Amino acid sequence: MEYIQFLIILLFAPLVNGVIKKLKANMQGRIGPGIFQPYYDLIRLFKKDMVVSNVCSWVFRVAPYVVFSSTVVASMIVPVITTRLAFSHMADVIALIYILGLGIFFIALAGLDAGTAFGGEGSSREMTVAVLVEPMIMLTIFTAAISGGSTNLIKITELQGAIYTPSHVLALFAFIVAIVAETGRIPVDNPDTHLELTMIHEGMLLEYSGRYLALMEWAHYIKQMLLFTLAIDIFFPAGIAITFEPVALITALGIYALKILFMCFLMALIESTRAKLRFFQLPSLLGGAFVLAVLSLLSYVMMGK
Amino acid sequence: MKSWIEAFSIIDFISVGILLTAIAMNAFKRLESCLRAYMLNSWLLSLLIAIVAFMLNETHLYIASTLTFLGKGILIPFFLRRIIRQMKVTHDVEPYISNSLSLAISGILVAVVYASLKEGIFVTGFSKNVLQISIAVILIGLFIMLTRRKAITQVMGLLFMENGLFLAGFSLTFGMPAIIELGVLFDMLMGVIILGIFAVQIKKTFASADLDKLTILKG
Amino acid sequence: MISEAFLYTGIFLFFSASLISLLKRLNSFVYILSCLGSLSLVIFSLYLLIAGPVSLSSIPLSSIYEFSFGGDAISGFFILVISLLVLSVSIYSAGYTKDMNSRGLMGFLFNLFVLSMYGVVLSQNIITFLILWETMSIVSYFLVTFDRTEASSKAGLIYAVMTHIGTAFIIVLFLILYSQTGSMNFADMRLLSKAIDQPVKDMLFVFAMIGFGTKAGLIPLHTWLPRAHPAAPSNISSLMSGVMIKTGIYGIIRIVLDLLGGGPEWWGITVLVIGAVSSVLGVMYALMEHDLKRLLAYHSVENIGIILLGIGASMIFKTYGLYNLAAIGLIAGLYHVLNHALFKGLLFLGAGSVMHATHIKNMEEMGGLLKKMPYTGLFFLIGSISICGLPPFNGFVSEWLTYQSLLLGARTPSIVSKIISPLGGAALALTGALAAACFVKAFGISFLGMPRSRHAEDAKEQSSSMVAGMAILAILCLIFGIFPGLIITTISPVSFLITGSYGVSTEKGFVIVNESLAGLSPFVLLFAMIVMVLSAMVFIRSVGGKRSIVCGDSWDCGIPSLTPMMQYTATAFTKPIRLIFKRIYLPRRELRVSYIVKPFFVKSIEYSGEIVPFFEHYIYEPSVSFIKRAAQRLRLLQSGSLHLYLGYILITLILLLIFGT
Repeated sequence: MEYIQFLIILLFAPLVNGVIKKLKANMQGRIGPGIFQPYYDLIRLFKKDMVVSNVCSWVFRVAPYVVFSSTVVASMIVPVITTRLAFSHMADVIALIYILGLGIFFIALAGLDAGTAFGGEGSSREMTVAVLVEPMIMLTIFTAAISGGSTNLIKITELQGAIYTPSHVLALFAFIVAIVAETGRIPVDNPDTHLELTMIHEGMLLEYSGRYLALMEWAHYIKQMLLFTLAIDIFFPAGIAITFEPVALITALGIYALKILFMCFLMALIESTRAKLRFFQLPSLLGGAFVLAVLSLLSYVMMGK
Repeated sequence: MKSWIEAFSIIDFISVGILLTAIAMNAFKRLESCLRAYMLNSWLLSLLIAIVAFMLNETHLYIASTLTFLGKGILIPFFLRRIIRQMKVTHDVEPYISNSLSLAISGILVAVVYASLKEGIFVTGFSKNVLQISIAVILIGLFIMLTRRKAITQVMGLLFMENGLFLAGFSLTFGMPAIIELGVLFDMLMGVIILGIFAVQIKKTFASADLDKLTILKG
Repeated sequence: MISEAFLYTGIFLFFSASLISLLKRLNSFVYILSCLGSLSLVIFSLYLLIAGPVSLSSIPLSSIYEFSFGGDAISGFFILVISLLVLSVSIYSAGYTKDMNSRGLMGFLFNLFVLSMYGVVLSQNIITFLILWETMSIVSYFLVTFDRTEASSKAGLIYAVMTHIGTAFIIVLFLILYSQTGSMNFADMRLLSKAIDQPVKDMLFVFAMIGFGTKAGLIPLHTWLPRAHPAAPSNISSLMSGVMIKTGIYGIIRIVLDLLGGGPEWWGITVLVIGAVSSVLGVMYALMEHDLKRLLAYHSVENIGIILLGIGASMIFKTYGLYNLAAIGLIAGLYHVLNHALFKGLLFLGAGSVMHATHIKNMEEMGGLLKKMPYTGLFFLIGSISICGLPPFNGFVSEWLTYQSLLLGARTPSIVSKIISPLGGAALALTGALAAACFVKAFGISFLGMPRSRHAEDAKEQSSSMVAGMAILAILCLIFGIFPGLIITTISPVSFLITGSYGVSTEKGFVIVNESLAGLSPFVLLFAMIVMVLSAMVFIRSVGGKRSIVCGDSWDCGIPSLTPMMQYTATAFTKPIRLIFKRIYLPRRELRVSYIVKPFFVKSIEYSGEIVPFFEHYIYEPSVSFIKRAAQRLRLLQSGSLHLYLGYILITLILLLIFGT
C-alpha cells in the first residue's frame, strides 16, 4: 500500500475532472457529459494517430513524457489516505512545487516549439501566471511548514491535526486561489474554450494530438487532484490514517473521497459564479491572494499560532 | 688634513657655492652661461662628496663623486650643448619676468627655507647648512622651470632640482648605495636625452621651442 | 607534502601555458596545459578540504612585507569551484580561440587571469591579497576590452571604474583592520579581531559589503556586470561570471564570517535583504534583455543574490548561537556558489557557441537553432533547467537548502528575523518563477521554432572541443544534482570551520536537514521519473497499439504558409510581465503611425519600446553628470600652461615647508 497510494490519484484524477464538469453543468442548468467522459476521451486519444508539425524539435516530443512523469512523481510524495509513505523521508512540499515546476517549464517550451503565435501566447501567459502564483503558493506553504516545524509533508499532516487558526484560514483562501490559477480554471483561465483571446493552458497544447495530447491532459488532471490532495493534507488533514490497519485505511479512503468531492463542489461553484477575468486584471486577484498569504504568515509569526 | 677641512668649514663654503650657482642661473641671459652654471654646480657637488668621502674614508662615496663629476659635470652638459646648437635658436633665455625680480624671488625662497627649517634633521652633522641649501636649490630649480619659456631651460631647471635632491639625500643619509646612485644618474642621462629630443621635436612641430604653444594641446 | 606538490605542479603548468602561448603557436597545447593544471588543483583543493589547512612558504618582499600564501577549507572550496570551471572552459577555449587573431595574447591573459584568481583565494595577508586582487581586476579589464571595439572599451572603462571604487573600499577596510589589530596577517587578525570596538566592526562590515559587493555585482553596484560580460569573449565571460564574481563572495565570507567572526543581527538581515533585492531585480532585468549574453549577465546578479540569501540566514543564526542552523544556510550558499559556476559557465559557453555560429547577439533574430546545433542546444537546455532550480539538476538542491534555512528563520528569538526570513523565501520563489519564465524565453525563442534570420538559418554545430567543454559542465550539473551528498560532504569542512557544526547529513543518497528532518533525494526522484516515463510508454503501447506519426505544418488558421515573422517574439513574450511590473520597469513605448488619408489608409506603423533601467537612470547618471559638472568647474585650473602647473607645484612645496614643519 505504501508504494501504490499514488495510484489513487493517478487513476481517479480523470474522474475528479468529470465530476467537476458534471457539477458545473448541473449548477448551470445543463445535463452535461457523464462523469466518466474524461476516461473515454483519454482512451480515444490514445488510439489515434498523431500529427506533429515539421517545425517541432525533440523538445516537443519529450515534453509530454516529462510533464506526465514529473506530475506522477510529485503525486508519489503526497500522503493520500495514509501518512505511511514509501518516500516519507523525501515527502517534501517545496520539492513537490519544484517538480511541478519542471512540468510547467516543459509545457511552456513545447508551446514555443511549433513556432505559432498561439503557442507563444499560451507560454507567455502561463509563465506570467506562474510568476504571480509561485510566491503566493510558497508563502501559504511556509505558514504550514513553520507551524509544522518542517517542510516534510508527513510532519505537517500529522502535526496539524484539527488546529484552525486565523493564519491557516487566510492561507487556505490564498491556496484555493492558487489552485484555481494552477489548474487553469475561471476566473484565471477557461478550460472549455479554444478562443485565442482567452486561452492559456489550451494554447500551449494546440499543436498536440493523439497520445501526446492524452498524456498532457492526463497529467493536467493528475495535477489538479494532486493540488486538491495537497490542500487537504495541509489544511484539513483530520481523518487521514497514520497506520496500516485495513479499517483505518478504508475509513480514511471514505473521508478522503468526501473531502475531494467537497473540493470539486467548491471548484464548480467558483467556476459557475465567477466570470473570466481579463488577463491584465489577474494581478489584482492574485495580488490580493498574495497579501492574504503574507498576512497569514505575519499573523502566525506575531501571534505564535 | 681632516682637521684642516673642519677648521675652514670648507663644506659650508662648497654648499654655499652650490646655492650661489643655482641663484646665478636666474641672472644669466644666455643659454651657454646657464649651462656653465650648471656645470659648476655639478662640479661643486662632486667635490663636496669627495671631501666627505675623504673625511669618512668611504669607498662608495668616492665612486659617487666620480660618477657625478663624469655624468653631470661633463656628459650631460655636453649633450645639452649639442642640443642648443642643433636647435639653432637665439641663445637668449627669454624669461617671463625680469632677471632682477627672479633674483629677488629666489632670495625670498631661500629665506623661506631657512625660516621654516630652523631645526632641521641633521643626521650626518657635517654641516648645519647643507639640508637647507639643498631644499633651496630644489625650489630654485622649480622656480626656474616655472619662469622660463624655452623647453631647454626647463630641462636645466629639472637638472638643478635633481642636484638639490641628490644633495638633500646625501646630507640625510651619507649617500645612498652606489647602485641606486648609478641608477639615478643613468635615469637623468636618459631623461636629458629624451627631453632634448622632445625639445627638438617641439621646435619642429610648432616652429618654436616656446612652451606657451603647448597650451593648444589641452583637451 | 604531496598536496603542495599538486599545487606547485598546477601553478607551474599555468605559468608555462601562459608563456608558451606568447610564442603564438601550439594553441591547443596551451589549453591542454591549463586543463592539466586545473586537474592538479582540483586534487589540491580536495586535500585542503579533507586533510585541513596548509601553509605555504612565503616570499619575502622586504623586511616588513612578504607574499604569504596558505590554504584552509574556505580557500580549498573556492579553488575547487575555480578549477572545475577552468577545466572545461580551457577545453572549450581550444576550439573557440582557434580562429582568433591575437590568440597568443588571449592564451597568455587567460592563464594569468586564472592564476590571479587562485592567488586571491590563497592569500594570507593583506598585501598579497590586494596585489593579486588588483592583478585579477587589471587582467580581466584587458580581457573585457579584448575585442577592441568601441562598445567593449566603454564597457571596460565602466568595469575599471566600478571595480576600483570597490578596491578603494577594500583598501580602507584593510587599513582599518591593520590599525586595529596591528598585524597584516589574516591569522593574527582572526585572533585579535574580537577586541575591536563594535562601531568599528560595523564600519568594516559596511566597507566589506560595498568593496566585495561591487565585484560580486550586488544591486545597486551591479551596473558593470551587464556591460562587461557581454563585451568579453565568451570563454572569458564564462570565467568572469562563473568564478571571478565569486571572489567577491569569498571576500565577504573571509572578512565578515571568518576574520570578524560574524556580527549583530542587523548584519545578517542586511545581507539577506540585499540578497533578496538583488535576486528579484536581477532576474527582472534579465527578463527584459534580448541580448543573450546580457541576459545571462543579469542572471549572475540574481544568483549572487540567492547565494547571499543563504549566507545572510547563516549570519542571523550565528548571531543567536544557533550553529546547526547557521551551517545549513552556509552550506546552501556555498552549494549555490558551485552550482552557479557550473551552470552559468555552461550557459555562457553555449551563448558563445551560438554567437560564434551565427554572429548575432539578439535573440529576436535567432530561432530554430536546436535543429542546427543539437548538442549546444541540449547543453543550453540543461543549463537553463539547472539555473531555474528545477529537479533533477544541481540548482534545485541548493535552492531547496536555501528555502530550508530561510524557513528555519522562524526559530530565531528575534521577531524581525522571523518575519524577514520567510519573506526572503517568498522572494526566492518569485525569483525562481521569473527565472523559469526568463529561460523559457531564452531557450524557446533562440532554439525552438523557426529561424528568424538568415544567420540563424546558416548556423552549424561547433567544433568538438567546444562541445566537449560544454558536455563536461552539463554532466557535472546532473551529477551534482542527483548526488548532492558528494558536494555537501565536500562543503561540510567549510561550514564546520565557520560555524562549528555540520547541519545537514547525507545518508544513502538522502539529504536531511538535521534540525527539521526535511529530506530530499534527487536520485530517487530521477529514478522514479525514468520508471514513470518507461511505464507510460508501455501503457500507451498496450492501450493504443502502434500508431503512426504524420508530419505536417503547424496550425496556421487556414491561412497558408506560416512565416517566421509570425512567431511570438521575445518582446511579446515578456510583455505581460513588463506591464504587470510597470512600477519597476517604467516601460516607455512609442507608436508612430503615418497615414496616407487619415485615419483610413495607413502607410506605416513603427513601434519602439524600452524600459528604464532604474539604477542607471536615477542613481548613476545623475552622479556622473554631477561629477562632470564639478570637473567642468575645476577645469579652470587646467589652463594647459606648463608654467602654471609648475607654479602649483612650487606653491604646494612652499606651503608644505611652512606649515609642514
